[in-house]
Amino acid sequence: MKTQNFSKKLDYKEALEAASRGMIMVHDPQLLIKMIIRMIVYRLKLRHAGMIIYSPEKKEYLLTISKGQTGHRIPQGFARFNQASPVIRVFSDPRFRPLFQNKHAILWHEMNKMIWQEGLLNGHGCNPEVRDILHQVSDQMDLLGVVACVPAIYHDKLLAVLLLGEKQSAEKFDTEELSFFGALASDTAMALRNAQLFDQLRSQAQHNHDLFLRMTMSLGAAIEVKDEYTRGHSEGVTRYSLAIAQEMLKDEKYPFDEKFMEDLYVAGTLHDIGKIGVPESILNKPGRLTPEEYALVKRHPVDGVAILKPLSELERSMAGIRYHHERYDGGGYPDGLKGDEIPIIAAIIAAADTFDAIVTQRPYRPSRTPQQAMEEILKNRGTQFHPEVVDALERVFRADKIIVVETLKREEE
Amino acid sequence: MAKLLIVDDEIDIREFARNYFKKRGIEVFTASGGGEALDVLNEEFPDLILLDVRMEEMTGVELLQKIREAGNPVKVIMVSGIEDEETINQAHSLGITGFIHKPLVLEELQKVVMKELQEEA
Repeated sequence: MKTQNFSKKLDYKEALEAASRGMIMVHDPQLLIKMIIRMIVYRLKLRHAGMIIYSPEKKEYLLTISKGQTGHRIPQGFARFNQASPVIRVFSDPRFRPLFQNKHAILWHEMNKMIWQEGLLNGHGCNPEVRDILHQVSDQMDLLGVVACVPAIYHDKLLAVLLLGEKQSAEKFDTEELSFFGALASDTAMALRNAQLFDQLRSQAQHNHDLFLRMTMSLGAAIEVKDEYTRGHSEGVTRYSLAIAQEMLKDEKYPFDEKFMEDLYVAGTLHDIGKIGVPESILNKPGRLTPEEYALVKRHPVDGVAILKPLSELERSMAGIRYHHERYDGGGYPDGLKGDEIPIIAAIIAAADTFDAIVTQRPYRPSRTPQQAMEEILKNRGTQFHPEVVDALERVFRADKIIVVETLKREEE
Repeated sequence: MAKLLIVDDEIDIREFARNYFKKRGIEVFTASGGGEALDVLNEEFPDLILLDVRMEEMTGVELLQKIREAGNPVKVIMVSGIEDEETINQAHSLGITGFIHKPLVLEELQKVVMKELQEEA
């Protein structure tokens, strides 16, 4: 008997430590709680055990985890507990706190004693309302086949209740076991609270992020309204750019992450935003531009960055906007950057930009086929364009259907 | 003693509900599906049926239809996790005492069941 107790003690310590460690790390504590409850049922040979957990959306407590023998185990997903449920009330109402503070739990076998012993509740024992609730708790525990309820409270808020069925041996829980449950419940409360906070933050961040992406799209739409010949151009450039980047990812040299892809999306959508400052008469001019007019058009990468400057979220996309007219041989604008001085995001947009421009009808010339666009870009590989970007585009062009889809779309229009 | 028949294809729910209502002094029968339920109905005369809607062999509504076709006016409370308007209407047109959605509040279920059984007694 002695040795058994000793090993039991070790089990708890180990399990508790593992639980706390795990609880802090997981964002979704449910799985962990499930494992712990299964372990409790198995190690202590309980008929069943379960956890009712507060759902912030439903504003109710749901029995989401339940383990143990059929017939004893409360069916999972079957029952919910609202604020009026006795076990919820007893743990939410501070008047009852002295009942379970020391033992960490409400024990069914002490319940009846408690109800009749006056003064146990710091003088509330004779209050008929209190007595009535205790009766209901006792009744509910009996119906659920639960001999102990352990509350998980965090900052006065009841987040969960651990429901424990009887041991198969019908032995009562000892002090050590109860204090283990208490510690476990308080870890659980903390983990649930963290998970809720994390969810809130995540949904808020998601919301902001969606708003940001939608604003990017409407900014992109602004320039398209003005320059009718480039309608759909930003979208095309973005699509080709993403396809090129995806292809380049296959090369270890370009470990683009999700963030990069998003920056590329934003930069592709907004790369021509600076054209808002160029008069429509120039943008839509059918003939050749005069040197003065051309100089105005060439300002758009710098103007674009100036327009977007107040949006600090766009900072990482700025390079794609500012440098998308640089040439690999250094002959581009606005800064005359050369080779690898040109940020890769801009080099990708440059190739995609040219590709889309060629296959699109312009005021000064009709559109050409994707095949012609590809040939034109290959001709300028290593001079105007980054060679590896061109290679990736060519692979995409040979394999991917995106471009065919684009052609079809244009033919339809 | 009041008699209650629980029809549900989930053994956990059947057995839990059996124990739950037994503690309330009710005689409980269970059936895991429509066929079994009809067999029970041939031998016993429950005062109330708790009937799950979504079951493999025969849906709760189909079973209810068979019960009514046989001219059995027994009280039925449907229990369901789905909120399908059509199913609810269909069940109501066949004559039911109530429709309870899972997850349910046990005390509320108990209250309804006790009320119906007491009326019967």
